[in-house]
Amino acid sequence: MSALKRVQQWATFARIWHIYNAAWQNPFHSSELIKKYLMGMHKPIYHPMNDCGDHVIVINSADIALPGDEWKKRVYFHHTGYPGGATWTLAWNLHEKDPTMIIKKAVYNSMDGNLQRRYTMQRLHIFPDENVPKELLGNVSNEIRQLRPMPKRLDDYPEKDVKEFPKVIDYPKDYVLR
Amino acid sequence: MVFTTVVNFVRSRGPDEFWRKRKIFKLAAHYIGRRRNCYSITIRNVHRALVYATKGRKLRKEDMANLWETRIKAGCEQHDIPYETLREGLTRCDILVNRKTLSELACWEPYTFKALTDVARRRALDDGLKGVTNENDIDRIITRGSLNKA
Repeated sequence: MSALKRVQQWATFARIWHIYNAAWQNPFHSSELIKKYLMGMHKPIYHPMNDCGDHVIVINSADIALPGDEWKKRVYFHHTGYPGGATWTLAWNLHEKDPTMIIKKAVYNSMDGNLQRRYTMQRLHIFPDENVPKELLGNVSNEIRQLRPMPKRLDDYPEKDVKEFPKVIDYPKDYVLR
Repeated sequence: MVFTTVVNFVRSRGPDEFWRKRKIFKLAAHYIGRRRNCYSITIRNVHRALVYATKGRKLRKEDMANLWETRIKAGCEQHDIPYETLREGLTRCDILVNRKTLSELACWEPYTFKALTDVARRRALDDGLKGVTNENDIDRIITRGSLNKA
């Protein structure tokens, strides 16, 4: 095998590190996207028996956005195995306890239950904020595009830009803004 | 319980109990424990195995088709063209390649696959198919309208 072919093979089977910003994203739609990269389904060499999955770092998992009233309605079930050991936790409650749990469970449930699933999950690294360890961040070579564009909020703009923004009217002096 | 000669196999068709059972035991030759030695258990398991085999013939085809589609979609994603547009574009150019061949090209011959996506992209841009917009990175050898028949 020539040196070129050898390097080509290393490059083909190398694990790539992706980063995904989960801020303002639907975790259940994002999980389908993340799953694709974790299992290696974005590579034409994919095969279920072929261990070609990549690593994914998910940041800002504390800022995920659940659709509708799912924070109040979605329930996570857990059973300790003992009689009466069942607990039901609401999504907002679970998110308060561990802000990485919802997205972790979403990705876990999006994959088929087989022997490979737990090892695939080990390649998923979730962080509630942007503080990722240096040694992990150094590996990253690709950013996964967010499913929805993140709008810039009014309080993110500098005050000067807000003041200078063209206006249609000035409010009257006695107008009460609510 | 393996037939070494054709003569024994011919004898096993008859009404004789030993030879009738022998035919079943032959199918269970690789089983473990009582599953291969006790006829009443063997026949149950052989029946089940034959049912699985029947279902598996269909499932195998579906599994392979799913794998091909996954691979083609992965290749399409790399070259920024939707799967449906690729198939439609190739069909319109009279490049009649099936899913199996496309997936093998995507896996083993990535440059050939890229050439096919270039053709399909050019055709999709000419015909206004959906999902293909940026014209900047297209292969310059294939020019606008060159794939349309005069």
